Amino acid sequence: MNEVGLIIGGPQGSGLETSMNVLGRALASRGYGLIADREYFSNITGRHSYIHMLISSIDLPRSLKYPVEILASTDAETIFTHFNDVAERGVVIYDKSQAGKSIDAVPSMEDYTKDRIKSILREHGIEPIVSNVIGYLEKEKNVTSIEIDFPSMIRKIIERYKVDPRQASRYVSGLIVSAISVVLGLEGEFVRYGIEQQFKERAHLVEQNLGLYELVKDSLTSFKNIVKIDEPAIRLSKVMLLTGNDIVAIAKIVGGLRYQSYYPITPAADESSVIEKYEYEEIGGKVVGPVVVMQTEDEIAAINSAIGAALTGARSSTATSGPGFDLMVEGLSWAGANEVPVVITYYQRGGPSTGQPTRGSQSDLMNAVFAAHGEFARIVISSGDHTEAFYDALEAFNMAEKYQVPVIHLLDKFLANSIASIPIPDISKIRIDRGKVSPGGANYKRFDMSSTISPRAYLGTKNTIMWYTGDEHDEEGHISEDPKNRLKMYSKRMEKMKIILEETPLNLKMSAHGEKSPDYLLLGWGSTKGVSLDAIDKLNSRIRLGYLNLKLLWPFPEREFLEAIRGIPVNKIIAVEHSYGINIASLIAMSTGIIIEKRIAKFTGRPILLNELVEAIEKIIYRNEKRVVLEYGA
Amino acid sequence: MERNYKTNLWIDWCPGCGNFGILTSVLRAFEELNLDPSETALVSGIGCSGKIPHFVNVNGIHTLHGRALPFSMGIKLANPHLTVVVHGGDGDLLGIGAGHFVALGRRNLDIVVIMHNNGVYGLTKGQASPTLELDAKTKSLAKPNIQQALNPILLALSSGYTFVARGYAFDGVHLKNLIKMAIQHRGAAFVDVLQPCVTFNDVYTAEFYRKAIFKLEDDHDWDPVVHEPNEAKEKLLKAIDKSMEWGSKIPIGVFYANELVPTFEDRFGKRLKVYPNLNPSNSSIENEGRPILAQNEFEELFKEFIVDIRRNR
Repeated sequence: MNEVGLIIGGPQGSGLETSMNVLGRALASRGYGLIADREYFSNITGRHSYIHMLISSIDLPRSLKYPVEILASTDAETIFTHFNDVAERGVVIYDKSQAGKSIDAVPSMEDYTKDRIKSILREHGIEPIVSNVIGYLEKEKNVTSIEIDFPSMIRKIIERYKVDPRQASRYVSGLIVSAISVVLGLEGEFVRYGIEQQFKERAHLVEQNLGLYELVKDSLTSFKNIVKIDEPAIRLSKVMLLTGNDIVAIAKIVGGLRYQSYYPITPAADESSVIEKYEYEEIGGKVVGPVVVMQTEDEIAAINSAIGAALTGARSSTATSGPGFDLMVEGLSWAGANEVPVVITYYQRGGPSTGQPTRGSQSDLMNAVFAAHGEFARIVISSGDHTEAFYDALEAFNMAEKYQVPVIHLLDKFLANSIASIPIPDISKIRIDRGKVSPGGANYKRFDMSSTISPRAYLGTKNTIMWYTGDEHDEEGHISEDPKNRLKMYSKRMEKMKIILEETPLNLKMSAHGEKSPDYLLLGWGSTKGVSLDAIDKLNSRIRLGYLNLKLLWPFPEREFLEAIRGIPVNKIIAVEHSYGINIASLIAMSTGIIIEKRIAKFTGRPILLNELVEAIEKIIYRNEKRVVLEYGA
Repeated sequence: MERNYKTNLWIDWCPGCGNFGILTSVLRAFEELNLDPSETALVSGIGCSGKIPHFVNVNGIHTLHGRALPFSMGIKLANPHLTVVVHGGDGDLLGIGAGHFVALGRRNLDIVVIMHNNGVYGLTKGQASPTLELDAKTKSLAKPNIQQALNPILLALSSGYTFVARGYAFDGVHLKNLIKMAIQHRGAAFVDVLQPCVTFNDVYTAEFYRKAIFKLEDDHDWDPVVHEPNEAKEKLLKAIDKSMEWGSKIPIGVFYANELVPTFEDRFGKRLKVYPNLNPSNSSIENEGRPILAQNEFEELFKEFIVDIRRNR
């Protein structure tokens, strides 16, 4: 096999993230590519959480799919929730002490979920008890079950290392990693590397987890390497292994971020923590920073303080998700009126309202593009994957300063929380463009109308005074309600949209993938990219498909879009989005008059999976369906 | 150098407005402190008071209703060398912006907040503000005020402001001195300025204030300054007690001053030694259009995210 799918499931708070990081590092250092989605409830302890990972020996994977070859569970709920996701001849790892558990004895499951799963079990004639479900998998799917007595295994560790028994649950993640490593035949040195990287200077934890690994390995000798993944053939000497939050934080630091504000919100807050960690660094005699990372009292203060910082010439941004962005909108309008370069990193999650705070969504496209009163120039860009997010986060600052506009970098929870192995970014490709900067002086006018983009002097520039106001203003920044001044100043702000469209390079507007002149074109933005590329590859032998990854969402690059779809009949274009409304189709219709009717939607809060996307495309092409709604995934 | 701190714009407040008194005191205070206009930022919210930056010849940032404090925080943190003075109305700072008002106290950032306190929302024609007393009926209210007033001095003291004072718009010299002290104070400074609104507030009039106000410093035993850390509690309690006086006798002057509390800049600088000398507004972010970091430095800095592939041989 050149790909192995894996689910690790357990209660929230049981160390699944640790498992993901240890295993991820171990696999990456062995030369495998991987991507992993983290699914969790809005909860700290106890609700069902899982990692869905794809490991590849030939590529850096870009999408996930079902079924999976390995289901590793730390509790009964994982077995009930995911038993149907296991591949023929797959492997299930489970806790012996949970074998007799009935679904009714799992309090953390919602009734709706329980009833749904019970009815599926009933259809298969399976009693809703862990051992019965395992028995069914063994019999009907030729699954190998690996039963481990978790409590007794952990007890051994507790005794050997004289650990406080109340900390027993800490070792569950290590146990799971160990079992998976054995099954995959991953050599000890890589497991050790993963553990060392995770626990670093906490030497006792390294030692205990290695001890646990040895123990598990010895008890599972008969299962060694039963899942056979090919020798890695990826030609890279190193990779970055990180989440979307991480890569954006890193990009901001590289791009010269100096002020980051935030109010805690899922799934954006981790980005600010990473930035704070690197607030000031000295390396090779160079100074990187300082970045002031400010946890504000609300998102209103987050955006407005970021705008204030931007006025002083500091590259400035805030990170949030939908509810927080809604609170920022009045400030966004002020930034538009005052031509302030500020970047909002907007990680979409499921709405409306609190919606599904820890699940993914792309339903805020219209919010990002149109929210705020009045008309003004703004830029909305999206990124299709971690690597794009890196370069786009940097470019967001360049565009903000070049055009003196607010820039919204529209991402989502799938990207924010997914861990992926990616090539090391090429720093030599990066440019820092601060736009038109003025040295100021006695006659400085902040909103000088002799050019569309007035040279910017920073607040605090010697011998320079400037005024800003949210009211319509004259060149000096004083309030003006004169109709002719209004006409000129308003137009000056709006005309930037044209300049942005003229100057932005094609690769920042969109990227075309797959067949050059395809019979069918799949089209989307942001996190639909990876799965769409894999889907068109998969269908390649039968259908000539392309994928158009839209990046600059506003101002909408109408001309390039029309060029990209030239020769493709509109009934052969399929729009895909994690939303109900496929809002990108509305934006395209509004901008170009082209109405895309073939649509693939997913709004369960879970990412679009390769298997279901392939089926959906087939339904549209072969069965002439117009709209397919996807729903796979727990 | 003689500096002219007044712009030549026509001032569009109502004749007799308390804002004129406040503006004059601000101009005098800036003159006497000889503030560098390019290193001074006057930040305001929305309302009649919000227009003040346009009348003063220093950097002016006329922001959103209730949000002058967050804007000023960003400005000050990014460029700590600037003198930042915020003007807001009572509705602006204590109504829509109350959360920010409290947060600034917690941070003790070195910013001056001057509150134009007239008991009404003037620019929207006289609705009740958070400082208008319960049952008061100013002239544009259809019914008497059904919400009670909050006490700005008490709120500032309990939020952590380290300089808390009250002035009166038409006692120009006294107010100018308070503003000067507030600017010279290291830490979050709050000046509550009682301000008649000639058009909409017929309860708290100039005549009312003339009779009611008295100066704290007229009592020679009144010393609001915390000289030693162990005095802080006692002085704060005295200030709180004094802040409760209202009605026929209204104290103005300094209620509390404590420079022994570290400012936000100090707290940040303690963690990050280079700050505030090296700060967001004066630190370099590029080198001839390229990032500061070279490839190898990038990889070294972010090594925790980098995995070396060591193939099994």
